Amino acid sequence: MTRLRLSCGIIFIFVIALCAPSPARSEELHSAIDRLIEDSTDGIFAEQATDFEFLRRIFLDLTGEIPAPSDVTDFVGSSSVNKRTELIDRLLKDERYPRRMSELFNVMLMERRGTDPAWKRFLVDSFKTNRHWDSLVKTIIQPDLANENEQGAGYFLTKRLEKYGQNPTDFPGLASDIGRLFMGVDLACAQCHDHLFIDEYRQSDFQGLYAFVTNTFIRTDTQFPAIGQKVMKKPLEFQSVFEEEMFTTGPRLPGGVELEVPEYDNKNEFAVAPDPQSKAPGVPAFNPLHYLASTLPTSKNPRFQINLVNRIWASMMGTGLVWPLDQHHNDNPATHPKILSLMAAEFAQHDFDIKWLFRQLMLTKAYQRSSILLSPLGDIQKAEAEYRVFRERALSPEQLMWSVLKATGTESRYPIELEGDSKLETTLPTTIEQVAEHFIASFANPPREPEVEFAPSVRGSLFLLNSELVQSWVNNGGDNSTEQLLKISDNTEVIDSLYITVLSRPPTPVELNNMREFLLSHPNRPDAIAQLVWALLSCNEFLINH
Amino acid sequence: MNNQNKKQASQQQRLCTPAHHVMSRRELLGVTAASGLLGFGGLGGLVQPLVADELSQSDKQVLFIWIDGGMSQLESWDPKPNTKFGGPFRSIQTTLPGIRVSELMPKTAQIMHLLALDRGVTTVDNSHSAGVPRIQRGDPKDRGVIYPYFGSAVAKLMGQGKSSLPPYIWVKPGSGGFKYQDAGFLGPRYGALAIGDGQAPPNLLLPDTLSHDDNSARNRLRNFANQQYAAGRNPTFSEAQSFVFDSADALMSRQALFADPDPADVQLYGDNELGRDMLIGRKMLEAGVRFVKVNSYGWDTHGDNFNGHASLMPRFDQAFAAVVLDLQERGMLDKTLVIAMSEFGRTPRINGHVGRDHWPEAWSIAMTGTGIRRGVVIGETNKTGTFVENESHDIGDFFHTWFAALGVNSLETEYLNNGQPLPIAHDDCKPIKELLT
Repeated sequence: MTRLRLSCGIIFIFVIALCAPSPARSEELHSAIDRLIEDSTDGIFAEQATDFEFLRRIFLDLTGEIPAPSDVTDFVGSSSVNKRTELIDRLLKDERYPRRMSELFNVMLMERRGTDPAWKRFLVDSFKTNRHWDSLVKTIIQPDLANENEQGAGYFLTKRLEKYGQNPTDFPGLASDIGRLFMGVDLACAQCHDHLFIDEYRQSDFQGLYAFVTNTFIRTDTQFPAIGQKVMKKPLEFQSVFEEEMFTTGPRLPGGVELEVPEYDNKNEFAVAPDPQSKAPGVPAFNPLHYLASTLPTSKNPRFQINLVNRIWASMMGTGLVWPLDQHHNDNPATHPKILSLMAAEFAQHDFDIKWLFRQLMLTKAYQRSSILLSPLGDIQKAEAEYRVFRERALSPEQLMWSVLKATGTESRYPIELEGDSKLETTLPTTIEQVAEHFIASFANPPREPEVEFAPSVRGSLFLLNSELVQSWVNNGGDNSTEQLLKISDNTEVIDSLYITVLSRPPTPVELNNMREFLLSHPNRPDAIAQLVWALLSCNEFLINH
Repeated sequence: MNNQNKKQASQQQRLCTPAHHVMSRRELLGVTAASGLLGFGGLGGLVQPLVADELSQSDKQVLFIWIDGGMSQLESWDPKPNTKFGGPFRSIQTTLPGIRVSELMPKTAQIMHLLALDRGVTTVDNSHSAGVPRIQRGDPKDRGVIYPYFGSAVAKLMGQGKSSLPPYIWVKPGSGGFKYQDAGFLGPRYGALAIGDGQAPPNLLLPDTLSHDDNSARNRLRNFANQQYAAGRNPTFSEAQSFVFDSADALMSRQALFADPDPADVQLYGDNELGRDMLIGRKMLEAGVRFVKVNSYGWDTHGDNFNGHASLMPRFDQAFAAVVLDLQERGMLDKTLVIAMSEFGRTPRINGHVGRDHWPEAWSIAMTGTGIRRGVVIGETNKTGTFVENESHDIGDFFHTWFAALGVNSLETEYLNNGQPLPIAHDDCKPIKELLT
């Protein structure tokens, strides 16, 4: 065992030692990123995105929805030299920012397993108060249950311990997810033996992580999702399917030091004794989750430093510097290793401030580039890989929902109801939660499938094409966009306003002509306008973040 | 691998999922990142992309009849009347000299000369929860990935063909919808579109407020907008998006598939759930769907096996014989592979509840259609039907056989899963020559 542990430890220290180039003191991260991108290619760069394209992109990324027509005119009309930076700073303070971030992180962390009101409250509150990433993860692993704002955090763990189908409680899956989502390593394939292709993914690493969670259970004495721990009496035993030898391990982070499992007599095994009255389980004197919470999310854990910057980069730039996101290892190096290590180091220096990270990424020229590469066209995939052109991204089901409601002017029809779970109903939904169920049913990936790739489906198309819900938004009535557009008599103005409302930009002359002709040729003006709204809602330009 | 080892392997709790076991060497990733999206619609992610191109031109189709729960071979294809475990039913003569089947399938007996039957099937799993997926995935060697069901595999290998309809449709009792689970590592887009209780999928019908002309007009507008957007941009996303709209549109334009059936057809196929679903299946094939699975449930007759089969078998018999003859009359049998099977057979021993339990050791699979030799019966069980005599065949052998019948070289074609080449059928198995033309 000692042999095994030592060798793993050494390998890990070497593998992930950060070799960040020290940037010039005055250079902000975003400038350094652009410099490193420019240094790594001789190719032609796309133009900077137009104000229209940039505005739509930044609204989708920071507020989760397209800009309102007034946002478009204000921003494009502004002559401030620093208007992009000013806008980024304004939107980072926007009241929709916590909602958008809670949606982004919910999908990243829960992978469509479901939702819980207390968990949602925890996430929204965390982004309202700009809780830093280390604190967020620490709280998820070990929330302060007396603090109402932290009570829902346990959902990350409890949901994964719920049984689904005929499967046994998925402790290995939970251990694997802690590795994947917080450290960027997918050790699942090292559960039964050392990983077959990836030398540094050792079975002992998986088992060490597994040892943290094997004694957890879902508490039944709380009104919110919470975890209890049974007493761990001895180290975990494991065996490779290829060998006879038995090994043991206490809880251990990949590359970290193994915790010795102490022996207590029955009297002393609890730090806080179980309370038969309230049915609250005790807190064991030897507390693996406490250790996990205090050692995993820290700047001393290089895997923790690097994981989130890569994930945020992927969600803003369309692909990870390391891809797949949970495959950080020697044989899968980053495309731009200097950018990755610099970001990770600075993120840690800024105490894992997520808002700071977003701001830096959005200030880069790379983020602000156009998604159109004028020439040479054949080169576009290479250009994307070198960040010379902005890579298109799918809208999340949530972004799509808020944007469709915004574009159709129907947002106000649905009061927000944070409490209570909603289920799909056959009748038309009345709350935003119910509307969200429809979008998730039509556009989201199945549970436990990370939503990192663009995978449009027939069900999504059928929803847009035929659902009563979408029709109720585009058809004239209830003060929606169609009704507003109907009040305009001049056709050019109608088309102008339509494009600004739905696609957040004015029409080109060709578009203006084509759409005006359609309006003129159609016998029924309300229907014609409804169809125009629908066509722009359902076109690629709307369905893609570009 | 012997059965004992296979069983042990199957009992181990595995963590690996489709997203796992990626081989992450960057040069390989370069290949798959592109093929993943460019292959949208069916034909990426093979080690041999040219094979995929060729297969997409093929007009071959599949009707896969899944008899869920386990049809008793003794009350169907392999009767043993007047033996220890034979049960109460007699056997009857078929159109093949010397070949007899259970008296519960008189209509099928009349088309026996069109079928190929293997009575020497031996598989591994005797539980439903593991057996159903294991069999439908062809029980390949464990490489730590979840293999696709046969339907998803065909959808991937052969694409949607010329119909632009979704390539894998599953007609079943109960709920419908989009069943991604079947696709395994191929990813959700190769899952099944399920037609539940003969109902159209959600949102298939054009809203009442919209005429067909209006629908065409709004889609023209959408396409116009798409063209405006496309210039100078990477086509990958837009094409994937357009593909699913086109599939949706193709499905919508085939409302007749979900219309009330012709009474004459109902009489032919049977006025019951299986008859109805088999008829929908035939219509789907006619419309050009590449792979249609028709599902019958309720065959798990642990209790009262004989009354159970007395009531279930006639429905199967009628619908199965009807669809084979119908396909033949329509000239479709020569391009359609038809398979009828369960996840296992049933025990010869009759239990205390006059039932039969699960028996993967010795059972039967029937097939016909494209590439399959007609009027042939292979494989043999012993006198009491307990075990296979001489050579037996496992599901892996059948996957090779069916791929061969469809023109897919299963010994050479491989999936490319994030850089990892994976055989499309068990590498230790091979096509059963006696069943192939």
